[in-house]
Amino acid sequence: MPSRLYDWLDARLNLKPVQRTLLDEPIPGGASWIYVFGSVTLFLFVLQAATGMFLALYYAPTPDHAYDSVRFIETEISLGWLVRGLHHWGASSMVVAIGLHMLQTFLYGAYKNPREVMWMVGVVLFLLVMTFAFTGYLLPWDQTAYWATQIGINMVGTVPLIGDVASRVLRGGEILGALTLSRFFAIHVLFLPAILIAGIAVHLFVLRRVGPAGPWTDDRASLGAETFAPRQVYMDAVVIAGVFLVVATLAFSIPLPLTDKANPSDTSFVPVPEWYFLFYYELLKYVHGPLEPVATWMLPLCVILVLLFWPFIDRNPVRNPIRRPVALGSGLLFLLVVFGLLGISIKNLYAVPRMDPAVVKGRAVYAQLGCVGCHRIHGEGGAVAPDLSTVGDTRPDREWHLKHFRDPQSVSPGSFMPKFPLTDQQLNDLTSYMLSLKRAT
Amino acid sequence: MSHPEQGDQQPSGGFLTPVGSRRTFFHWVTLAAAGLVGLGLSIPLLSTLISPAFQRRRRAWVDVGAVDELPPGHPKQLDHVTTIRDGWLETTSHKAVWAVKQPQGDISVFSPICTHLGCGYRWDETERKFLCPCHGSSYDVNGKVLGGPAPRPLDALPSKVEGGRLLVMYKDFKSGLPRSVEI
Repeated sequence: MPSRLYDWLDARLNLKPVQRTLLDEPIPGGASWIYVFGSVTLFLFVLQAATGMFLALYYAPTPDHAYDSVRFIETEISLGWLVRGLHHWGASSMVVAIGLHMLQTFLYGAYKNPREVMWMVGVVLFLLVMTFAFTGYLLPWDQTAYWATQIGINMVGTVPLIGDVASRVLRGGEILGALTLSRFFAIHVLFLPAILIAGIAVHLFVLRRVGPAGPWTDDRASLGAETFAPRQVYMDAVVIAGVFLVVATLAFSIPLPLTDKANPSDTSFVPVPEWYFLFYYELLKYVHGPLEPVATWMLPLCVILVLLFWPFIDRNPVRNPIRRPVALGSGLLFLLVVFGLLGISIKNLYAVPRMDPAVVKGRAVYAQLGCVGCHRIHGEGGAVAPDLSTVGDTRPDREWHLKHFRDPQSVSPGSFMPKFPLTDQQLNDLTSYMLSLKRAT
Repeated sequence: MSHPEQGDQQPSGGFLTPVGSRRTFFHWVTLAAAGLVGLGLSIPLLSTLISPAFQRRRRAWVDVGAVDELPPGHPKQLDHVTTIRDGWLETTSHKAVWAVKQPQGDISVFSPICTHLGCGYRWDETERKFLCPCHGSSYDVNGKVLGGPAPRPLDALPSKVEGGRLLVMYKDFKSGLPRSVEI
């Protein structure tokens, strides 16, 4: 850094040794594109922290304002939808980046002596990130958020002895409500970041004490080492910029609609968790009755313990994956199960239900006539006229709708809805669409 | 694994490190990547930060009653009810405004706040004056100052008549100044 400011500071603060410590860290075997995932994960954490801070400018963690404040971010704040999108996709990307980081560490046997502590701290960091995901999911306070969290906390309740108390502590009482939302918010934005930053510091401290593992060759002496800067820094930076572009593209192109505002009395709502919890959601479908606790807490606990203590379970000192068939086989089996369940779950979710063609046409009429200007369906549209999200339940009578569309005031005196010139076909289609708007079953 | 080519490498403290144009290339690509991420992130973040500063309050015309119900020459206090949006909060605001139908038929509408220090004033029918109870300012039926510490006449609110109904737009004004300054 040949700048005058740097020289001026260096003359006073003696920065050169710091720079050497930070940038000249030796990488055995030289820099590599396969080593980028740790840096990418760290970058995504910074991205989450930055976008989260700006979302917190507007978010209000109370049940009567949370939903409206998120809507406000989405619709009223310029580029607010983009910041929320970056935060959402950043979270997903972080799970992917950690997954790849762990996979690389696993394949390279980099968790073995002397790096057991780094692996264990890493597993704790992974669990913290999943806790971030769980607590963040509730914050928009829409139906999905509310019911997914309800299920998550109920699962904690199935743990014997401590389950009941633990679920009450999580909820802040008997019911999921104001106290749950405010403590999830505090945990998400204050407690977890503090703990995670401390964990990252320990993780990096251990890395600098033991050094990166490098290639899996047995002949360590033959490895030349390359400094971290500039080539590994360059590789990290290029991949980080690529990841940022992917996250930004997703945030730009895929809108994140809110579902309806959380309604604790609507027990018919079926929530779907985020994709990284889907494999587990699918697993729970197969386990019922007395075996249920096995899936709700015994299995997760076992998996977590095995992950955490893996360096002591796999005591084979060899790092070359070809010579570790048992470790590699069990890792592969674990991934097959997780991705198999994820695949089945996604297939079930996207099995498109056959829709009545009249409903599809009716929806087109609804869009064409601009009904959305006054009416709202699942959070989309104006708030001037009645919300139609569940009008099929509240007004199940076909004749009523037909009369109403011909002359709104005839069945709904005082209504200011205009008469629309509709053909009989359009009238029937629009009515079919109205009747299809029911609570999720 | 990609292994460093030996030609452009020099040992640095016993470790290899690229030198010359290769080093410069890595340096600039790193800076470009950092610039891309920094710029790409700071635009949406700063936009959300400053966006509300440029949102103007939307004021609406509010129907405060029928023009026929105003007795000529006698001020009448009318309810001004409107929905106020404060960020994501929507609240109903209840204000009362003073409307006077002048003998010629023109209607003046006054803010209900005394221009001196912001108290609410009332109409005294016997004295035919607007009287402020706080410091004794008084105004005539046209809002002109008759006495007391009031620095300026009563603040007029924009009003119009449509279809026999009186519509008023509510505004707040700074108190204590010789001229009307909207807040």
